[in-house]
Amino acid sequence: MFLQQLINGIVIGSVYALTAMGATLVYGIMRILDINNAGAYALGAYVGLLTYNTTGSLLLTFIVGMLLTGLYGVLVQKLLYVPMLDKSPNVSLIASIGLFIFLSDLIRMVAGPSIKGFHAEVPFSSIYTDSLNINGAWILIIVTTFLLLAVLWFLLNKTKIGLAWKATAQDLETAKAMGVNVNMMVALNYLLGYGFAAAAGIMVGILYSSVFPTMGDVPAYKMLAIIVLGGLGSPVGTVIAAMVIGLAETLIGGYIGFFLPRDAIAFVVLIIILLFRPRGLISKN
Amino acid sequence: MLKLDGINVFYDQSQALYDVSLQVEQGEFVSIIGANGAGKTTIMKTVMGLIKPAQGRIFFEGKDIIKRPSWDRAGMRIGYIPEGRRVFPDLSVEDNLLMGAYHSKNNVEIAKTMKEVYDVFTRLGERKNQLAKTMSGGEQQMLAIGRALMTKPKLLLIDEISMGLMPLLVNKAFSVIKEMNNQGITILMVEQNAKKALAVADRGCVLEMGQIVHQDLAENLQDNDSIRKAYLGG
Repeated sequence: MFLQQLINGIVIGSVYALTAMGATLVYGIMRILDINNAGAYALGAYVGLLTYNTTGSLLLTFIVGMLLTGLYGVLVQKLLYVPMLDKSPNVSLIASIGLFIFLSDLIRMVAGPSIKGFHAEVPFSSIYTDSLNINGAWILIIVTTFLLLAVLWFLLNKTKIGLAWKATAQDLETAKAMGVNVNMMVALNYLLGYGFAAAAGIMVGILYSSVFPTMGDVPAYKMLAIIVLGGLGSPVGTVIAAMVIGLAETLIGGYIGFFLPRDAIAFVVLIIILLFRPRGLISKN
Repeated sequence: MLKLDGINVFYDQSQALYDVSLQVEQGEFVSIIGANGAGKTTIMKTVMGLIKPAQGRIFFEGKDIIKRPSWDRAGMRIGYIPEGRRVFPDLSVEDNLLMGAYHSKNNVEIAKTMKEVYDVFTRLGERKNQLAKTMSGGEQQMLAIGRALMTKPKLLLIDEISMGLMPLLVNKAFSVIKEMNNQGITILMVEQNAKKALAVADRGCVLEMGQIVHQDLAENLQDNDSIRKAYLGG
């Protein structure tokens, strides 16, 4: 029973980590909160579904879904956020909320308001024993998340681009003067971040065999809780925070039961942890 | 090598630089002296492309670079030691140095330059894996100088190198940059410590309220009575 809940928690935490990672990367460099990152989650799921229904290939579903959504992120950044960079960060925050609402309504208008089925064949078979019940889609989620995070870790810690990313996050102006093309860094941020969120959306779509226009709503506010908890701008902190929230939801929900809806657990955890660690789980100072 | 032509810079409504024109020849060492708030840092940032002037042009090696972003200017080998050091706090000493050579793809040259930097500043070599923020102010200034050396600059911009350093380190810093100049690096420096700045420079400019009010050979400025009174302590 405990192992079951643990795996549940890791699956949920994985989805949260992928969804929040883009917002963390963006905050790390630009110091703005990009709510629309959760819009990428819904958009990615729809693009993925369309690709799957057209090609029947799960690999293509991920590639096309992540790539197109990532490019959408780059476009949004160039057209919307760059012109606002010298304004207060609140301007970008409001704009990102607006864009998020716009996107979910655009999806509604194009794809229709009703739930669409997403019945994909997963390359992992489910495991059922007396005490354990592991869905193939869960394995897909854990494996894919691990792979994507490993790629990100390698990029950030073992490459020149990663070094430049860290330098830019620490001191944007000086990084510029050292020769870092900051515009390209930011574009890369959006490409990766929106791509990751798209992967999360696709996998949740497959897990629940369905997608719907407002599927990004709950991830949007949980993403906020997670990046605050993760120490705002720390990729490692975000993964830890996502796992903490994921596990808290399943363990508290599964064992103790909770008088509030399950989705409220994330915020209760956020409040409790911030009381003791006001700068988040991983703080820079 | 570097030519500023009629530069006007505004911060919101207030003007920071008024029609600043100056020229730095190949191999020259030019110091700009002036009080706090005279616009010294603004000149440096404008040359580096971190501030956009409202009017004026900047030529580097004959090319107009006013529209080029900062990172292109770094790639043209304009080195920069910013005011207050600005080392990357959560990067190691070695990674900070690598950032100075960010524009270069020549790994052999990078390794060679890094060895040279460690030869000049043995302290940096001893602490290459340490995070920059854990070092003392003096060590951080050495790191900022070393980082600029990694750029292999043709032109080096130096902003207040003496700030917050104890006298012994100020002397060390000035002797290192004088040595860089002797090796052929053109230097444009802004400095509050006018005495030291004019002692090492070929030429000097005096900046007052965003305007260049004097330009002359460094020794002439040192002998000029009004400048002695205002900047050199009588």
